[in-house]
Amino acid sequence: MSRATDLSLRYATELKGYGASLPDDFLAAANALEPRLPGAELDAWAQAGIDLAASSLRAWEAAAEYFRASPGVVERLGAEGMRDWSRIAAELSQRSSLMAAAFLKSTPEVLQSIRPGDLEAWSQQGDRLCRGNWKSIALSSLYFQVSPSLLHNVSLEALGRIVDIVDSLTERSYELATTCLETAPSIFASLPVPDREPFLRFARAVARASWADIRLYFERGPKLIEGIAPPERARYLDLAARVTAEVGRQGFPLFSDAAQALGTMPLELHARLLSFAERLSVGSPIASMEYLKSAPFVSSRLNEAQMAKWAEAGSNILNEEHNPEGAEAYFRLESARAEDMLALLSARVELSNVNQLLRMYAQALSGEPVAVQSAEALVDRNIGWVTESGATTEGNAIYLPPYVATFEEQDANFQVYKVFTTHQTGRMEFGSFVYEFGRDGAHAPGTAGRRELQVEEDRVNRAAETGVPMKEYVAPVTAMQRFFNMFEDRSLILGLFTIAEDTRIDAQTGREYGGIRRWLRVLQEHEANHRPPVELMGLRQAYMENLLRSSLGAPETMRWPQSLNEYLRRGIAALKVVELEGATVQDSAEVAQAIYDIAVAIPNVPESYADGKFDAVSEDMYQIAPGMPGEGEGAPNNMPGGEEMEFENPPQPEFRGDFKPELVQLMSKLKAQKDGSDDGPTAPLTKEQLMELLQNSAEISLGEWSEGDLDASLGAFLENIEQEAAKPAGDQKQSDQADGGDTPDGGKGDGGESDLKPEIDWFYYDEWDFRASDYRPRWTRVGERFSEQGDGEFYQETLRKYHGLVMETRRQFELMRPESFKKIKRLEDGDELDLDLAIEFHVDKKAGVGPQARIYNRRNKVERDVAVAFLLDMSASTDEEIEKQRQKYDTNDQDDFDGDPRKYFQWLAARRAKNAIEPPKRIIDLEKESTVLIVEALEAIGDSYGIFGFSGYGRDNVEFHVIKNLDEQMSETIHKRIDKIEPIRSTRMGPAIRHTIHKLDEFDAKVKILILVSDGRPQDHGYGRDRTEKEYAVHDTKQALLEAKRKGITPFLITVDKEGHDYLKQMCDDIGYEVVDDLETLPRRLPTLYRHLASE
Amino acid sequence: MALATEQAGFKQIAVEDFRITEEPYYLPISDEVELFETAYRERVPVLLKGPTGAGKTRFVEYMSWRLHNRDGRGHEEGVPLITVACHEDLTASDLVGRYLLEGDETRWIDGPIARAVKNGAICYLDEIVEARKDTTVLIHPLTDYRRLLPLEKRGELLEAADGFLLVMSYNPGYQSALKDLKHSTRQRFIAIEFDYPPREQEAQIIAKESGVDPAIANDLAKLAEKVRNLKEHGLGEGVSTRLLVYAGKLIHDGISPRRACQVSIVWALTDDLEVQRSIEEVVSSIFE
Repeated sequence: MSRATDLSLRYATELKGYGASLPDDFLAAANALEPRLPGAELDAWAQAGIDLAASSLRAWEAAAEYFRASPGVVERLGAEGMRDWSRIAAELSQRSSLMAAAFLKSTPEVLQSIRPGDLEAWSQQGDRLCRGNWKSIALSSLYFQVSPSLLHNVSLEALGRIVDIVDSLTERSYELATTCLETAPSIFASLPVPDREPFLRFARAVARASWADIRLYFERGPKLIEGIAPPERARYLDLAARVTAEVGRQGFPLFSDAAQALGTMPLELHARLLSFAERLSVGSPIASMEYLKSAPFVSSRLNEAQMAKWAEAGSNILNEEHNPEGAEAYFRLESARAEDMLALLSARVELSNVNQLLRMYAQALSGEPVAVQSAEALVDRNIGWVTESGATTEGNAIYLPPYVATFEEQDANFQVYKVFTTHQTGRMEFGSFVYEFGRDGAHAPGTAGRRELQVEEDRVNRAAETGVPMKEYVAPVTAMQRFFNMFEDRSLILGLFTIAEDTRIDAQTGREYGGIRRWLRVLQEHEANHRPPVELMGLRQAYMENLLRSSLGAPETMRWPQSLNEYLRRGIAALKVVELEGATVQDSAEVAQAIYDIAVAIPNVPESYADGKFDAVSEDMYQIAPGMPGEGEGAPNNMPGGEEMEFENPPQPEFRGDFKPELVQLMSKLKAQKDGSDDGPTAPLTKEQLMELLQNSAEISLGEWSEGDLDASLGAFLENIEQEAAKPAGDQKQSDQADGGDTPDGGKGDGGESDLKPEIDWFYYDEWDFRASDYRPRWTRVGERFSEQGDGEFYQETLRKYHGLVMETRRQFELMRPESFKKIKRLEDGDELDLDLAIEFHVDKKAGVGPQARIYNRRNKVERDVAVAFLLDMSASTDEEIEKQRQKYDTNDQDDFDGDPRKYFQWLAARRAKNAIEPPKRIIDLEKESTVLIVEALEAIGDSYGIFGFSGYGRDNVEFHVIKNLDEQMSETIHKRIDKIEPIRSTRMGPAIRHTIHKLDEFDAKVKILILVSDGRPQDHGYGRDRTEKEYAVHDTKQALLEAKRKGITPFLITVDKEGHDYLKQMCDDIGYEVVDDLETLPRRLPTLYRHLASE
Repeated sequence: MALATEQAGFKQIAVEDFRITEEPYYLPISDEVELFETAYRERVPVLLKGPTGAGKTRFVEYMSWRLHNRDGRGHEEGVPLITVACHEDLTASDLVGRYLLEGDETRWIDGPIARAVKNGAICYLDEIVEARKDTTVLIHPLTDYRRLLPLEKRGELLEAADGFLLVMSYNPGYQSALKDLKHSTRQRFIAIEFDYPPREQEAQIIAKESGVDPAIANDLAKLAEKVRNLKEHGLGEGVSTRLLVYAGKLIHDGISPRRACQVSIVWALTDDLEVQRSIEEVVSSIFE
């Protein structure tokens, strides 16, 4: 009998008590161990197992694991090791048999990764997680379960750190700790070896700073850092860890965003970016991450050297101005300085910045009220233009790509824009769209008429020969269409006509505008050097390409089989005709027609079929005299044969842009028809005619239409075109381009809009960030709309109520008028003699003193030229009842709804319900009454005035209500609007003031005044670093008031906030303000104040 | 009358003695010369309308010289020209005359109109809308069949000498409600419209006046045409021929064309930076 069997018999009774499998497990293990362990050791082993099983109720499970694992570990551990092992198991089992089981089960595999001597350390780490409760026991068991796979990838020491993290999470959430531990093996398995340690280091930082983010980090972290250059990952993670240690909760989002941003940057830049970020992190951890976040955007504008300069400027804010907030805003691109710097350094020129300039330039050149817009806008209209990146025109406006970054210098790129514009303007100026069918050119006699007859004859003959009936004739809509109709291959003739016409425009431009010639030349060369290779083209396409290159003034780039030189020579000679002085669009058409006859006979075979290679052409081709192909020369013959490639026109040079003469003519035709100024035969165009044009036009690529539904698409398309034609030409379309709120605003309609949903015009304004000492560019959005109309009765009611006061103020105001006549004394000449002075003079003269005879007076009529804007606070707090307000100004509980509009609405609803019962007098009511009084007074004096109210919620929704525009006449409508002045939301004063400044600035008056009536400090959601901060808002408002002063506007603040003195002193500095102590006096006070202000 | 006294460096002449003795350069654009001659013959007052620097003043000078020659008296004195630049403080007495204190006495001094009336001169009121409204009424009796100038302060009426003709100029460009010519005034004149000359003629004028070579003159005229396209699209007024001549002079004397255009055209025309840059771009497109 073996010792194993012997043992199993010995413990049979004990084993039997623990379920069915245990004896078998025991026997199997004992058999396996028998040859490896000496007798005493085996006994001890067996005893340890039995003891384990007996140690607690469910300990037999651990014992089972013990027996099962033993054969696997005995080799590694040896006899002594086995003893330690079972001792550890026994200790664990005292805490929890579950833990012990997990420990035992994992041991064989774990031993593949660690030394036997480390078993103790390994188990202790697991033990650390156990705090006696079942959740901790489960976690600890989980630790043992995942250990084998984790230890494959990380060291025991690292595992210890994972345990640290998990352990720290247990204080918050066991669930989270469990998830982390569960996912850890797969995370570490996927992480490359060098990243594992740094990954953990950052994990620890996150766990400390914002434990909840750990899950996200474990989920997304590995993916996020994948995009970072492998050698730099550790640095990045360590940087992120340092940042997180300082900024806490913000750390992880910053890490995540910055990692994403970094991932989009070229790998070779990562080291440099990180070094810079590390430098920044010393002074401002946030700035360093913001720097990385903005890197992709900045690099889209700047090259590497420029980027370094840009970053350096930001770092100076940090290190020299010691302004971390400023640097953060800078790198977050929320600072005007950052944008200015970007614009300064960037070679790229944005259309939005030069659009006005180019518009005026184009207007000057063409003499038409052309607009300049982004090509994207044209594409959106779906009227046949599809290229967003090129320049083009549809006859009324010039469309340019949204930015140009062709060259390394800003000026060069601007010149590119200028050449684009000049070329498009040239099409208008030099008449690209005024083609008339069959008319003679200046150099080529018109042959279209003859050709048309020939084509028609051929058509009839062919029909007769083939017996296929002729397609029904549809009268062409435009001359251009009629011209194109004559050609079998419309795409080819359009391509040729485009080349000819562009060549003509270039030549003409060069002649007319000596100054632009240089840049035109630069662009032609640039284009010639970036043409697609001729070698890949079919022969006919290559022919066109060569003509185009010749027209770019780059004959040296032409490639053509020598044997076919003659045809190219003829084509170029013809093309030169349009370069002659005086050439018109008729010449271009004739030239295109002549070249067509050559080109159409050239098969579009690939180079391999062509007769000989595409060689550089000989130099005699550089100087070809202009001349139309002779009649007798005939069509090319002896052409190479072979399978033809699909023909396509060579791509348009960028600076010439899309050319669609057929569509342009169609649109102007439609327009003329609409305006009734068409002087041709006035039969209206039929739908059939239009569809015919669109279907055939080579200017619209069929790919744009969904197949099968061609008719419907064309129909929709036609509608777009007709709509477009109905629009007035040129300028008016400017408003939707508003780039900073330049929309000119006349008083739009003064009545009747009450039924309509108010139309909102949006304006963008910068906001002052006092910490950064810089503007946040286009930070706020102000929506201007006309105030709704209420009941006009309020106005009359107020007048009745304050009858006495009204009369008094009116009288006072009327008294201001005579002040406007100024008497100038002591003149040598004037309207009236000053008797005193005359006598004095006489006396002096007799006395021989002989002063000058300055004895006249003159009254100079000084015209009163005052414009005033009243800006009323319509914040929710103005809903405050006056009595209440009197009682409690120390509990300044302004509206703050935690960014949650619902809370606000609840509050408002409750408030309204209460007030409906018995409306007490509110601050807003006093504002309204004061408005009525001041309006009455102002009407007496005749000053221009505007009344505006503001409120809103958040930076992108500042509401600006127009009650009366500066140039609007007083009317019943305005009475009604006054009634609708009511409390709305918050008080973001800065943008409202800026918008009022904008309005005053556009208004022509000598004296401009802005009076702001408010009930408290500026306040809004996000108008400050956090909810409690008041500084930011005060500073921004102050800045806005200073802006007013700079524009020559006198700002003045009236507040009913008795507490106002503290912040007003700061906000107003040397700007006038007044705190109206007794609220009820506001209606009386306002006119008085105005009188002082306006007569100063 | 007092003869012109020539002293060191300058000439002093009484206004009524001023005559254009050398032919001023004037390039007729249309039939304005013929019209004016006829009007003069018939003593019909003339209103010259047109933008600033289009040649109104030059035209009057030219006509005054021309009428002098046509007088038939050859070298004899012809038609004097009295020009009054009107401004908003121009009063009736500034035009007609006033009493001045001299010693213990007062002395009457004739104003320019009175002098013109007495001497049979062409009286040219430049930019008449600038003058105060009351002054324009004053000239009414002079402009109809009466040809009388009342001297209110003296209680006298002056009957115009035979050669007298009233000519006014007026720029409808800055027409505003405040500064428009009253109908009662404007309907006493025949109006000759002036506009900037077409490109070729303008080039000819520039070349002649500034001495610049014809190609540059042509470019300047081209520039003018382009800049005038901006009128009412950023510019209140188009560039005047006068400014172009200045530019031509600077170029002629060696200033680079771009710079010359900048100082004499761009900066002279507008203070708006955006518009300035636009025009500069046009300049740089035209001139190398």
